Amino acid sequence: MDDQGCPRCKTTKYRNPSLKLMVNVCGHTLCESCVEMLFVRGSGNCVQCNTPLRKSNFRVQLFEDPAIDKEVEIRKKVLKIYNKREFDFSTLKEYNDYLEQVEDIVFNLTNNIDVEGTKQIMEQYQRDNKDIIQKNKAKLTREQEELEELLLQEQQDSEQRRLETLQEEQRQLQAKRKSKQALLDELESSKLPAAVLLAQHKDRAAQLETQIEKQKQNVKPANIFSTGIMMGQTVSFASVSRVEEVLYVYQPLFIDTYGPPVPGLDQLGRLGYLNHVRTASPQDQAGGYTSGLACHRAIQDAFSGLFPS
Amino acid sequence: MKLNIDGLLVYFPYDYIYPEQYSYMLELKRTLDAKGHGVLEMPSGTGKTISLLSLIVAYQKAYPLEVTKLVYCSRTVPEIEKVVEELRKLMDYYARQTETKNDFLALALSSRKNLCIHPEVSSLRFGKEVDGKCHSLTASYIRAQHHSNPSQPVCQFYEKFDAVGRQVPIPPGIYNLDDLKDFGRRKGWCPYFLARYAILHANIVVYSYHYLLDPKIADLVSKELAKKSVVVFDEAHNIDNVCIDSMSVNITRRTLDRCQTNVETLQNTISRIKETDAAKLREEYRRLVEGLKEANVARETDIYLSNPVLPDEILQEAVPGSIRTAEHFVGFIKRFLEYLKARLRIHHVVQESAPQFLKDIYEKVCIDRKPLRFCAERLRSLLRTLEIADIADFSPITLISHFATLVSTYSKGFTIIIEPFEDKTPTIANPVLHFSCMDPSIAIKPVFGRFQSVIITSGTLSPLDIYPRILDFRPVTMASFTMTLARTCLCPLIVGRGNDQVAMTSKFETREDFAVIRNYGNLLLEMSAIVPDGIVAFFTSYIYMENIVASWYEQGILENIQRNKLIFIETQDAAETSMALEKYQEACENGRGAILLSVARGKVSEGIDFVHHFGRAVIMFGVPYVYTQSRILKARLEYLRDQFQIRENDFLTFDAMRHAAQCVGRAIRGKTDYGLMIFADKRYARADKRGKLPRWIQEHLTDGSLNLTIDETVQLSKHFLRQMAQPFRQEDQLGLSLLTLEQLQSEDMLQKIAQIAQQA
Repeated sequence: MDDQGCPRCKTTKYRNPSLKLMVNVCGHTLCESCVEMLFVRGSGNCVQCNTPLRKSNFRVQLFEDPAIDKEVEIRKKVLKIYNKREFDFSTLKEYNDYLEQVEDIVFNLTNNIDVEGTKQIMEQYQRDNKDIIQKNKAKLTREQEELEELLLQEQQDSEQRRLETLQEEQRQLQAKRKSKQALLDELESSKLPAAVLLAQHKDRAAQLETQIEKQKQNVKPANIFSTGIMMGQTVSFASVSRVEEVLYVYQPLFIDTYGPPVPGLDQLGRLGYLNHVRTASPQDQAGGYTSGLACHRAIQDAFSGLFPS
Repeated sequence: MKLNIDGLLVYFPYDYIYPEQYSYMLELKRTLDAKGHGVLEMPSGTGKTISLLSLIVAYQKAYPLEVTKLVYCSRTVPEIEKVVEELRKLMDYYARQTETKNDFLALALSSRKNLCIHPEVSSLRFGKEVDGKCHSLTASYIRAQHHSNPSQPVCQFYEKFDAVGRQVPIPPGIYNLDDLKDFGRRKGWCPYFLARYAILHANIVVYSYHYLLDPKIADLVSKELAKKSVVVFDEAHNIDNVCIDSMSVNITRRTLDRCQTNVETLQNTISRIKETDAAKLREEYRRLVEGLKEANVARETDIYLSNPVLPDEILQEAVPGSIRTAEHFVGFIKRFLEYLKARLRIHHVVQESAPQFLKDIYEKVCIDRKPLRFCAERLRSLLRTLEIADIADFSPITLISHFATLVSTYSKGFTIIIEPFEDKTPTIANPVLHFSCMDPSIAIKPVFGRFQSVIITSGTLSPLDIYPRILDFRPVTMASFTMTLARTCLCPLIVGRGNDQVAMTSKFETREDFAVIRNYGNLLLEMSAIVPDGIVAFFTSYIYMENIVASWYEQGILENIQRNKLIFIETQDAAETSMALEKYQEACENGRGAILLSVARGKVSEGIDFVHHFGRAVIMFGVPYVYTQSRILKARLEYLRDQFQIRENDFLTFDAMRHAAQCVGRAIRGKTDYGLMIFADKRYARADKRGKLPRWIQEHLTDGSLNLTIDETVQLSKHFLRQMAQPFRQEDQLGLSLLTLEQLQSEDMLQKIAQIAQQA
């Protein structure tokens, strides 16, 4: 890091530890004072590549390689437009192809390959997918959600721990102070022998301990709604895109029993089948049972598979 | 001798057996029967290894369908060799007794560095260089080039192995590393790949922890081991640290700079290939689009880099579109790299969790989580496509990609700590990014899940219940065995005060105290006068040792000690230390003996044994707590408290005591050995510390040996040493701590044995 310096005034980090390097969209560095001097009017050209630049676009250089700064800048811009999520695609393969396409665009823009063409592609894409882009803006990817959840959990755990230890300390301190005071008071006023008082005191102390133990409860802060959605999670209100497909039509089920047709439930009595089954007792009928039901099932069973298939 | 362990016929290759070995085998058998995991603690020097081996081999022979393979994991190469030698003894005994030819295949596996027989490659000094060179000779595209262009060098050993080695099975027998090399030389096959291939059908595999625990290696080597294997982790008292290290990444400024050159090389290679051989990149691209799994395409020699995350965490889908083409991926890595550089440019310590890091990286450089997860995978594919032979140079970028994959895969159990400088040198900027794993159970979980029995064993595992907790598994057996002794050959003493009654302790407040340092010096001086041969003294840290020794020098104590014995010092330099060790042993062999000053957690405390006269006394100056101000440790303690309900203090004490026990355990390496164990810190006398020592030490720690002064210590030691100096023959041990078969079968002995194991 020490050998990094401003290409214009040749100051290095070694000579001036407070040197601040800045990067603009073209990925070339300048130190802060050179930026102040060259871009007094708010805009100008890059010293190295002559790209027209604005002063307001200068950022502090985060990484050693200014090209990375540039790439990250571009990437953030691209990802704002290309913000489809994995569940916007039907297969993983499509999603992966999409990811690669994004990567290609970033690569081209960073390495100045066919910049105009790429920009056109981006604009085209932006026009085509306006809705989805708008909808996904507020949403995090699933992985990020997971991460957020984990972080939240961690925070809560550490908070809980902190509280617990604090409580513990407080409790011990209080108990000690109280019991000591009580003992002193009693020794002062009571007529009982000291040994008895001490024993009583011990008992009381133990009781106190258990009492506090009971009071101590794990108060878990609510962070999940009863619906299972995390509190504070952003919910997108953009309308869900409509999916048009052919409507479903019900087709009655047909079962080939390979046997003679089974008479319907209402015909069983007329055809005399019911004479051969036990009539339903009043107790049976209470639950909605009729002897016809059992009979019908038995006949179905008997008739099926009679014809050779 | 032939033993009957709970109905199982076990061949034991020695004529005598220790009672605790019998008891150990009983417990082990129960664990295997239950098909569960076990934690077993038995003192060092009581024949753990041979008990393990003979029981499991017997089990394998008796129930070949229940247990198909034994995977024995040890820590260092010498230990691996020792295990293989024991196994050889056992197998010889089997062959003699049953008079059949041995049909078992057992082999040791180590890195290429230890197994390579290629004349040029094997002469390289560092493991990484050997791996890289090997890869540059055996990668599939190199071999393809060799086909069309015979001047392209390849490894003739691998070629030969590839041609015939796979069809011809390696004959059954016991192979240590040298045997494998010999076999390879005879056949002209590459021993490394031979061994890696042979472990699939071997009955017993002996290798290092990392082949099972480190996901980067385990995926390559141990992927296809059967579920019905028994896995043994020997010397497992440090297993949690191994697990943590295998999942952690440290990134320095230097790594990033070297990574930068890697990226440039990649970029140049890509543009060159684009001009000459664009079809290759297109082919890779096509493969990635289709999400083809490369495993079926890649050859064993190509998979040099593996995914750093555990197999079940790897996403099984196609690489995301944003890093599909080579240029995009390089741009991606560049952005990531610049982001890391920017993060390292800080002036204060930052600690954050993985989700925080991911959120920040998205905001700063628009990197999503998903491509990060695929980073390691994608880099591997790219390196192979570009046919970069010299892969060793690309270790920095590999490290970065591992970091990317790990940080985006695991949201829990890890922390990121960025420190702008080291604590010791706050003026010198040396930024480091620690991505540290805090949960050892993450790395070891697949091992417990995959294998039917996992045995964790060591000489010092006390307190036993903490290992299942920090490794997060449910053992079916947990037992600690004591040493049965015919004479009390170990004498632990806790020295708490000097002769001037000043408390001796390495507590932070008093460690610089003049009186404390002087008392430590006096203790060593007095001991040097009465102990014959070698004394090993352990300090809590290198800095502490330096301070104390300097101050002893000023007080003239050092001079007085040197009248009795020579002094050797362990340093952070490995070569210097091994030199000191060698000379120390030489001094112990002849003359008045010597003193070795070393450091707990150092090389000496972990791997070096001081048998017999090499270590007649071990002095532990202070309690070897870890450096508690380290942020990584603090984060880990917090995690342990939140996740496993282990209090900070409990863990710190546990960690300190296991290291103290390791240190003092160095002196006793068998039942004929004897040694003093002096704990020079009054804090050892407290129940919470004492209770965490292994049971076999605690047993001999009576109330009379607590909180002694130096004078009392000298008296007790003199008495102990005089007793020990009496002749001690095997007959004295027989029937008490050493049993013949008949003695073992007697009724009251079996009852006694039942009491040895203490279930935790």
